[in-house]
Amino acid sequence: MSGELASLYPFLYAGAGDLQAVLAQVRQSTVDKTSEIIALRAEVAEADGTRIEECAGRMAAAFDAGGRLFAFGNGGSSTDAQDLAGLFLSPGGDAPPLPAFGLTNDIAVVTALSNDVGFDVVFSRQLGAFGRAGDIAAGLSTSGNSANLLRAFDEAARRGMLTIGIAGYDGGKMAELESLDYLFVVPSSSVHRIQEAQTTIYHALWELTVRGVQR
Amino acid sequence: MPGFAGSMDAAHEIFARRETPVRDLAGQAEQVALACHAMAARFHRGGKLVVFGNGGPSTDAQHVAVEFVHPVIVGKRALPAVSLTADVATLTGVAGRAGLDDVFAHQIRILAEPADIALGISSDGEDGNVLRGLVTARERGMLTVALTGGDGGRIARAAEVDHVLLARSADPRVVKEVHVTTYHVLWELVHVFFEQPGVLGQEVVA
Repeated sequence: MSGELASLYPFLYAGAGDLQAVLAQVRQSTVDKTSEIIALRAEVAEADGTRIEECAGRMAAAFDAGGRLFAFGNGGSSTDAQDLAGLFLSPGGDAPPLPAFGLTNDIAVVTALSNDVGFDVVFSRQLGAFGRAGDIAAGLSTSGNSANLLRAFDEAARRGMLTIGIAGYDGGKMAELESLDYLFVVPSSSVHRIQEAQTTIYHALWELTVRGVQR
Repeated sequence: MPGFAGSMDAAHEIFARRETPVRDLAGQAEQVALACHAMAARFHRGGKLVVFGNGGPSTDAQHVAVEFVHPVIVGKRALPAVSLTADVATLTGVAGRAGLDDVFAHQIRILAEPADIALGISSDGEDGNVLRGLVTARERGMLTVALTGGDGGRIARAAEVDHVLLARSADPRVVKEVHVTTYHVLWELVHVFFEQPGVLGQEVVA
């Protein structure tokens, strides 16, 4: 009986000491995760492909008119924001470099604003200082609830910037925001899969924008 | 399974281009598992994770560090990890004095310890400073892991690198996306091993 069950569920019955069983479980997990992200990307492309192209068209027009991109996010999303800004500014290859700023790059500014005013204003105050009508504000959040992003989008919209949000789950509070021109929501409850699909969204925005600019 | 059948517009085509390299990662499940087992054993010994890369991958290095230090899944313990790309004073200082090739190796010589893990990230496997960082890490007795792209480049061929995971694409954007999935999986599966310390002392039988 137990031998039968053990063959059905080898991991449960292997005990903590069975390396081969854990390795097998871990191998399967990698296969499962790759299937999940492939399916999720297909879902996002289906739901948002057309709006991604439209948004990239607006971005290209903004750059053509002298606009700059400002990208921001917290934690893992801050690294995506820096990657996005760096991709426009220094893409390598034949792609034209375009002006872009990552709002988490300067730790003196981030800690000064957080310490003196509050973390909620770290992005909005920078947009207030740098932003002009015709610029682009792009913020990434997995939850869609980051207070400093909500403040930043409101500030950007007030200044006449093109506002783009990339979120996960159901879009959170970003989905209720009137100051967003474009919101792309990755419909997943896994922070990891959300970030992976968000990366594809901003890569697609970059690739289509670069194709669209007149230089 | 959702697919990209039918006529494709530009955005769909961009998304579809990711699929084959991601499937290829599933084909490296064995290498992923072995890398995670070895990394978990290092954490168990008190080692820390030291991550580095250039350009886009410099942001991935910071992402990996925050992933381990501040896990997104409640209840997972924080594990020590540091990115060598965040200290601009040291990066530009070393680059100015000794050259860009030494920026990671310098920090590894001074900040890293033999129990640590070096994780080098390179879009094409050809970055001289990432390779030198990994070689220096090996000299110090560290575990060496590389995420590379393209055909793996010099880094994938280096004898000093214990574990190589390859994002098989010539497009650095696609490589980055496969790397993000790879390091998310590395983080998760390191914890699977780490929570079963009985398996950490065992040798993998090939």
